[in-house]
Amino acid sequence: MGIVLALVAAGGVARAAVSPSQSGDAPHAAHKRKAAKADRAAPGTPVLPADRVEALRLALVSADDGVAIEAAATLGASGAPAAAEPLCEVLAAGAAPARLQAVLDALGKLGEAHQLRADQTTLDALALYSGHRAPDLRRRAIKALGTVNDARATLPLLDRLGDAASDVRAAAAEALAARHEAKAAHRMFALLAMGDAGVAGPLAALATPDMVPRIAELNGTIEDGIIADALGEYVKRPDVPDKLRIDVLRTIGGLSGAVATTALVDYVASVPAKEERASKKEAQKLLDQRGASQ
Amino acid sequence: MKAVRSCHDRATIALGAMLALGLGACATSPFQRAGNADDVAAAVARSHPPAASGRSLAFLVLAGAGGARLAEYDLAASRVVWTQPADVTTRVEVGGSVLVHGSKGTTPNGELVGRDLATGAVLWQRPFPSSEHLYGYALDGDALFVVTRSTTTPNKPTGVLAAYDARTGVVRWQAMLPSARVAGPAVRGGVVAVPVESQYVLLYDGVTGLALGQVLSTEEAATFVRALPEGFFYGSRGLFLLGRDTARGSRHATGYLAAQLPAFVRPTYDTDRYRPEQNEYSALDRNRVLWRVTIADGRPQFRDGLAFVHDYRFFFAFDAATAALRWAYVSAEDAVASTDTGRSILFASATGEIVALDPVTGARIFQAGLPGEVVRGATFDAEGFAPPVTAAASTPPDLLGSLTEIIADPDLRFPALKLFAIEELGRQPGRDVTAKLLQILETEKTSPLAIQKAGEMLVARRDAGALELFTAALRAHADYSAKRPAPPVEILARAIGALGPLARAVAPDLDAHLRLPETSPAAATEIAKALVQIGAGESVPALRDFLTMYRADPGYERDPTALVAAAEALLKLGGSTDRELLLFLAEEPHTAAGLRAHVSRALSETATAAKSAAK
Repeated sequence: MGIVLALVAAGGVARAAVSPSQSGDAPHAAHKRKAAKADRAAPGTPVLPADRVEALRLALVSADDGVAIEAAATLGASGAPAAAEPLCEVLAAGAAPARLQAVLDALGKLGEAHQLRADQTTLDALALYSGHRAPDLRRRAIKALGTVNDARATLPLLDRLGDAASDVRAAAAEALAARHEAKAAHRMFALLAMGDAGVAGPLAALATPDMVPRIAELNGTIEDGIIADALGEYVKRPDVPDKLRIDVLRTIGGLSGAVATTALVDYVASVPAKEERASKKEAQKLLDQRGASQ
Repeated sequence: MKAVRSCHDRATIALGAMLALGLGACATSPFQRAGNADDVAAAVARSHPPAASGRSLAFLVLAGAGGARLAEYDLAASRVVWTQPADVTTRVEVGGSVLVHGSKGTTPNGELVGRDLATGAVLWQRPFPSSEHLYGYALDGDALFVVTRSTTTPNKPTGVLAAYDARTGVVRWQAMLPSARVAGPAVRGGVVAVPVESQYVLLYDGVTGLALGQVLSTEEAATFVRALPEGFFYGSRGLFLLGRDTARGSRHATGYLAAQLPAFVRPTYDTDRYRPEQNEYSALDRNRVLWRVTIADGRPQFRDGLAFVHDYRFFFAFDAATAALRWAYVSAEDAVASTDTGRSILFASATGEIVALDPVTGARIFQAGLPGEVVRGATFDAEGFAPPVTAAASTPPDLLGSLTEIIADPDLRFPALKLFAIEELGRQPGRDVTAKLLQILETEKTSPLAIQKAGEMLVARRDAGALELFTAALRAHADYSAKRPAPPVEILARAIGALGPLARAVAPDLDAHLRLPETSPAAATEIAKALVQIGAGESVPALRDFLTMYRADPGYERDPTALVAAAEALLKLGGSTDRELLLFLAEEPHTAAGLRAHVSRALSETATAAKSAAK
């Protein structure tokens, strides 16, 4: 079902479809009731009063892009669950890129605050814009979609791992890593093998131990820094056995460049000061050796 | 070997005798009898078909590590008869017991060299000084006829036809031609033909040098003359069988013949004998039409109804009446020379392979060669050569396979040929062909023109049996991680649309592309049109999404074609809710101006019909 049709059924596009001269008119009762209903949130959740939501809704469809962008930012910053619906209505009705960017950013913020509901309309709208021709919009849609705690969001994220734009791929990889989507690891590895730096961190979060030697074996085929980045993130994972960490750190130590040094430094810094770890000592030793060889 | 005999200074000028038939008697024009059918018919009657030599020889001009050489190869015995050091410039012509070719020599305009056919040994050399330019030569048994342009008197160049004893190089007679604008000759059964002034062909008695007749080509330049067992021919873009009805060469004459050939073919039936450089082995030998004729009641017809095209590595047989492709053969290497022996298509490749093809089927019926050699050019003396079937024989080439091989060939020299191959492939029946056309479209290195042609063929095929192929192609979305480019959606949509409602099942796969970032506006336009053609009412949501997502996109402000197509599709496939959406789009000020204008107009034009439908 297309998102516009969904919103038409819900009255969304019908609202958006009023003529500009009518857009300042008072909203009809149905929307008031709906908005009020939407604000019945869980205790502790920020709440937006219904008429405030309504005012921002109107501002979102204002002829003035500046007003609309500000309204989107306000809704995003509110952290209120009811803020999502007017934002999704803008996506459903379409708008100029600047307004769409602001709307997607706002939805992303709501998502980060765990206030983006996994309803079909939201998912459809974000999935649709994850396929927009403009990479900026795709990246933002992916970021927001990644925050939706629903399995239906996974497929569009996986699709965007194959995106032509590196920042979109990176956003998809980060979202998938955050969702612990293990099935994304193999495609991320394929991207890493192509020298895609944006997937190094996310891959490290998902990589299984058997994948680590394969990452190390990319030495010589892609930039050392990308390998160091991936392995550096991997060793920081709490679930990695310390013995394996030592091997990985030694591999990092064998790589050239500042990124490898940074990975070792980061690792040492990531271990609590009082915690004794063989791997921490090994990292420090490798750093000392690198310093001596300078 | 040094000159055995220089005979230039021994020429016997027999001008008086040459001026018979009124040529010299005419004070105003030497061509007053041009087009005289009686003269020409009588001359042709004197020209007897040459007796078959029964030989099957190839003369190969060799280069490479072994140096410049000339080799005689016996096709029947599959062996080299002899090899001689030779710096061959112009073509080898073969006579009864002699062969003649050009060589650089030591004089400014090179020399002709006569060689013994059995051994290749030099018999004589005939140098050309700076005042004498060689235009061509032909052998009739052991009589050699040479056309030159003399500039001994710089302001008054003259054309000269000379007859020599080909074994000794001694001049037998010499005739002043009525023009200095001369071309290389041909000789058949005692009659010599020499084109002059582009539109005349002069006929001479080979024994005496007496003028016999003059042909006047009125509609087509006569750039060549050619002697074949079946007759004497002249022409340029067509063939005139020399005879009474072609004495005044008109394309309406029964003796005129021209094959229907595809656009990529350079339709010349022989080299331009007015251009001496074409006597050399060159690219012209690799790109030519091969032909033989049969004659019934004076009316020539292409033998087996076929004309053959040699295009570097490729050989084609075409129906001469319709240009329909009969077969295509792909050689591994460039063929540097070829001939139609009457019973086979014979060619030599640049790497020394010698192959004969069955003219009717294209099957290889003979294969031999000189491995490791570099062949610059070749001349064949193999009239009627048709070897017995041996192990070297192949089955007739698979047309689909040959065309696919041509299209996939990485050689960039043949863009027009590839387009032709794609077009021919598209004409072949079968689902496999559709699959191959899709493969061409998806091949990264395919040129834009080839993609366009393959697309046209795919659309024109209307192959409803290939829906699964279209679906599979559409589902192979672009994927950077798999290094997979986007499918050719624009073309696929057109091909699917052409199938109409039969292709409705593919609608969801087209819809998916409306929602993908790599789908170009042009592809989106074709998708929208296709959805209407196949009547995909279920695609309305995808059309709505596309319209709303891009309605205010600045890219579509400049060119709203795709949005307009989607709006049109929505209007045709959607219902009253969709009219509401379109109304919103028309009124919302951020919507692309072109779309707003179009939708307003479309809604107004369809308002009555929509109201009726609603009732």
